[in-house]
Amino acid sequence: MTTVLIVAATAPKQPAVLIEALERFRARGASVTVACFFNSADLPVDPALAEVRTFAVPGEKRDARLRKALGRAPANRKVWLHARRNAWLRQLYRKADLLVALDARAVHTVWEMAQRNTRAGAYYGLVPAQRALDARRPESVGRRLERQVSAAAGIGARGARRAATQTVRTTLRKATGQTVMSNPAGAWFWTRAVAAPRVPDRFRSKLAVRLHDSAVKAGRPAVAARAASAAVSRISSAGTRADVLTKAAQAELALGRVPTGLHDAIRAQLALADSLLPRDSKKAAAAVSRAWSLASNRVLHFDRLSSPMSEDPGAFLAPFRESTAARKLSAKRGRLAPAAPVPADRPLRLLVTTLINDNFLQEILERYRAMPNVEVRFLDLYDDPVTRPLALSGSTVMEHLLAGESSYGAKIEEWLRPHLDWADTVFVDWCQATAALFTLHDPGTARIIVRLHSFEAFNFWPHLVDFSRVDDVVFVSEHLKDLSTAVLPQLTEADGPRLHVIDNAMDLQRYPRSKPADARFTLGMVGFSSVAKDPRWAIEVLRRLRERDERYRLTLIGSDFNNRTSKPAKDYGKLFSKDLAELEPLGAVRRYGQTDDVPAALQEVGIILSASVRESFHCGLVEGAASGAVPVVRDWPFFAGKPHGARSLFPADWVVATPEEAAERILAATATEERWAEAGRAASEHVLKTWDWTVTQSGYDRLLLDD
Amino acid sequence: MSNRVLPLPRSGGGKRPHAIYLAIGFPPAAKSSAYRLRETANQFVALGWDITVITICQEAWEREYGLDHTLSEKVDPRVKVVELPLIREDLETDIRAFSEERSLDPAGWIKRLRQREQKVFPEPVFGGWRYDLEQAVLRVHREHPADLLLASCAPYVNLAATWKLWEEHKVPYAVDFRDGWSLDVIGGGEAFTRDSVSGRWESKVLEHAVAVWCVNDPIAGFYRERYPHLADRVHVVRNGYDEDSLPDVSGRSPDPAAGLTFGYLGSVNFTPAFLESVLDGWRIARRDDPVLASSRFEVRGHIGAGPAREANRHMDLLKEAAVDGVSFGGPVPKADLAATYGSWDALVLMLVGGRFVTSGKVYEFMATGLPVLSAHDVDHDATNILAGHPLWTGAVGLDPHRLANSFSEAARMALKATDADRTAARRLARRFARPAVLGPAVRHLTELVRPTTAGDSAPAASTEDVQL
Repeated sequence: MTTVLIVAATAPKQPAVLIEALERFRARGASVTVACFFNSADLPVDPALAEVRTFAVPGEKRDARLRKALGRAPANRKVWLHARRNAWLRQLYRKADLLVALDARAVHTVWEMAQRNTRAGAYYGLVPAQRALDARRPESVGRRLERQVSAAAGIGARGARRAATQTVRTTLRKATGQTVMSNPAGAWFWTRAVAAPRVPDRFRSKLAVRLHDSAVKAGRPAVAARAASAAVSRISSAGTRADVLTKAAQAELALGRVPTGLHDAIRAQLALADSLLPRDSKKAAAAVSRAWSLASNRVLHFDRLSSPMSEDPGAFLAPFRESTAARKLSAKRGRLAPAAPVPADRPLRLLVTTLINDNFLQEILERYRAMPNVEVRFLDLYDDPVTRPLALSGSTVMEHLLAGESSYGAKIEEWLRPHLDWADTVFVDWCQATAALFTLHDPGTARIIVRLHSFEAFNFWPHLVDFSRVDDVVFVSEHLKDLSTAVLPQLTEADGPRLHVIDNAMDLQRYPRSKPADARFTLGMVGFSSVAKDPRWAIEVLRRLRERDERYRLTLIGSDFNNRTSKPAKDYGKLFSKDLAELEPLGAVRRYGQTDDVPAALQEVGIILSASVRESFHCGLVEGAASGAVPVVRDWPFFAGKPHGARSLFPADWVVATPEEAAERILAATATEERWAEAGRAASEHVLKTWDWTVTQSGYDRLLLDD
Repeated sequence: MSNRVLPLPRSGGGKRPHAIYLAIGFPPAAKSSAYRLRETANQFVALGWDITVITICQEAWEREYGLDHTLSEKVDPRVKVVELPLIREDLETDIRAFSEERSLDPAGWIKRLRQREQKVFPEPVFGGWRYDLEQAVLRVHREHPADLLLASCAPYVNLAATWKLWEEHKVPYAVDFRDGWSLDVIGGGEAFTRDSVSGRWESKVLEHAVAVWCVNDPIAGFYRERYPHLADRVHVVRNGYDEDSLPDVSGRSPDPAAGLTFGYLGSVNFTPAFLESVLDGWRIARRDDPVLASSRFEVRGHIGAGPAREANRHMDLLKEAAVDGVSFGGPVPKADLAATYGSWDALVLMLVGGRFVTSGKVYEFMATGLPVLSAHDVDHDATNILAGHPLWTGAVGLDPHRLANSFSEAARMALKATDADRTAARRLARRFARPAVLGPAVRHLTELVRPTTAGDSAPAASTEDVQL
């Protein structure tokens, strides 16, 4: 009787096909076993047709050796490692006449079985196996002997090779690990080895990335940079060079550090993009996108207490300004016709648009919806699940801009053109994807207004906006205008858009409420979820106050600190958690949590803090001040010492440079209940007459309704 | 049309001109293009040519479409066939022939193979055959100098060998493009741009071709538009049918109580969703129509290749439909075609694609004289071919409910059709008999390269339906 062994690594997608094949095998008088790497109950087969058994070694029965082997084996080999452990399966495959792999994952197992049973046929697929069975011819003894010898030799040789390869890999991994790279002799050796002549690029690049990674982890960034630089100087391919430098920079960013070779990596990607641009705009776009991805990484700008962009935008962006491909992304394409004036004979059609975040639009929408001379439409590019993906891919926009035309561009045209045709004025909130997409094509006669808040200045999106198609740019503060114009010099060119600073729209009237007397000792912060809010600065202020008077406490309003964004955020989060673990049990810190009723939460706050390292305006602080809390504002370090910043935005006595100064101001302002109440009342009056929507709306009226 | 007369003959003093015919898929390959290739070769012989067909070994077809030796019986014995030992490695199913690397990652191994193939010539699967084909045409030419090379595509790697012979020996050539290369016949757009590697190959080779054949007007139109200066060299040479495939359908009177037999014959090369729509239509029709309720639907042809041969989702769908009277019977040898068609009462024409797709089976289906049910897009070239057929249900797209109506309509036609209807249907198809299509095309090619000697023994064939 012919014995057939079918090996299935995964439950067959066509069980009916298998059943029919089993029937055919039975009709030919064959005895069939189906060996499954999955639960045999998932393959119900009539026992008269075939025996179905599982051979996977259960988790609890895997010894250390098997676990180790499984850990490093490729996926298909794992199936064989299980199969070879199974006594009944070993017996079966050694005596089978025909070995069949039912699926791709089972092929290696059957291949190994065939090396050990040189008499059997071995096939991939049921129909080829059936055909082989039909055409089966006895083999000559000589042929079979030859196959046996070669298979036995092969098994031995492969085993030895596998062991040798594993040993070499382990040795190499250890030899290039952190311990060796932290040792000056090891670092010296590998820095020279990685630059040795005649090493193929692919090996050199892998070794360079590995050495860099180990050196960075060992706390030797300078060694890491030297190793990468030595390797790169020997790599001939621009793509591989850029790849090595980018991986090295990414490794450092992942560890929360500003990469030593950040600009080298950015320049390498941009050089690659420039060289690719004439012949392959898609690949060029991918390279620019990688450069921007490095430059916009949040570790650089958002999860640390400083940013190279705010320190010196010109120097930080110099590689982009020198690159042809990067410059092409923001090249002026102009508009065919100027924006039409505000219509006199019918209501102004105002399209207000954003992507996801409409937090700062409610008052604006409400005001103009109520005006008979304005017809308002609101468009959130995220709302429609069909078109949403078009707004979420910066690299696709780059591809389009470098190619000049694309099917993506056609889809954007089809999507946004009806809105552009309808609107007299398009108010784009946030200078990000929405602004890039609304300027991707000629806006016709629609007037385009873009409002830039803060984070965008550190991001790539404004560099994809065609400002020759934008009529007005609105900033929410002078210091953001300063930073943005340094980042985007095209804004200040003679033919650039009109620039405005208009305060955020805030309804502050609902905040003033009476406060209990003990609010005098309660510091408050609205929003503390990110490193940029620097809640530990507030903790530091609190500590200094409590050294003098233990009645001081801190209330944190808003969602909890998010430590999942990056390694630096995680590190910051750990320290912040320690602070909380110490101060919360004492009642010194209270997390109020997220609330929709901020005015109520602020009732218990007597001193409102702005501890941030950067803010465009800080609505939370102003709301606190409106409630009657005494404002204490850190001189936001990103802008401190520059012409505009916290000191130019708020009254001078609100702003402090250090936690000590803050503590002093608070102690002075809260020395008596009367003094505290008076300071709070004065602050409330100031913000209400300066920033309440009833005052600031005239700025928007002038912007939107005047010609 | 301009006749491009080239300096010939170059057949080494022989009396008969010699053509090299790159025809991968030549009989005995059980491939749908085998009929066109066979007829073309036979027509050359009939016009007084020596012809050497270059194809690949029979073992290669065993792995893929299979072999049908009955197809070879009608090949003119004067046709010389050179079989090259080329084989699709990706379709190997003998695991003993696998390297360890391939066994560990079959899909990855094939992916890397594809990359290697495309480095040689920009065509996956076949690109790696380039140098063997080039050497083969040079060898054949050395042994028997050629006056003409005709390359039938696909595979398009044939173009590399064509170009090689032109480059080295200036042997004039024509390209039987059939479905075209730079046209995505299924999607309807451009398959690749002119400045891509494939695009550069195509434009380079077509530049010097004496003629370019396509199977229908939309494809020819695409090429004339893409290469306006070659427009007069682009010709429509349709597929056709073979008389010996046709059943005797006279005097039929099916019994409605016993039900009818519907049939499909051809490669199952459409998506499972497509097949599912047709089977759903069939089920609805059986539920609503008492004649269909007792009828059968037989599917014949190739399903899958390599390890997936007859082991894919299509097979599952057909097996699931067995309770609804659907059966799969495997491929049909050419010699059994007439009998198979003869055992059916109506034909189900399942076709992928749209206006650029004609397919060969539409001609054979219409020539049988049996009712034809269309299961394909409404805007499909088959619609143009079948227009006027008295026993055609019309194209209704792929909505199962509309297909169910078509099944009922086809059943009604099968029961009511008269001999006159069937004769009218056959008469309509006659212009697509292979000799009628390919005879004039080969004659024209002959005139282009040997303007003074061709045509002595050409068969009398009408050219009215062949657009040259």
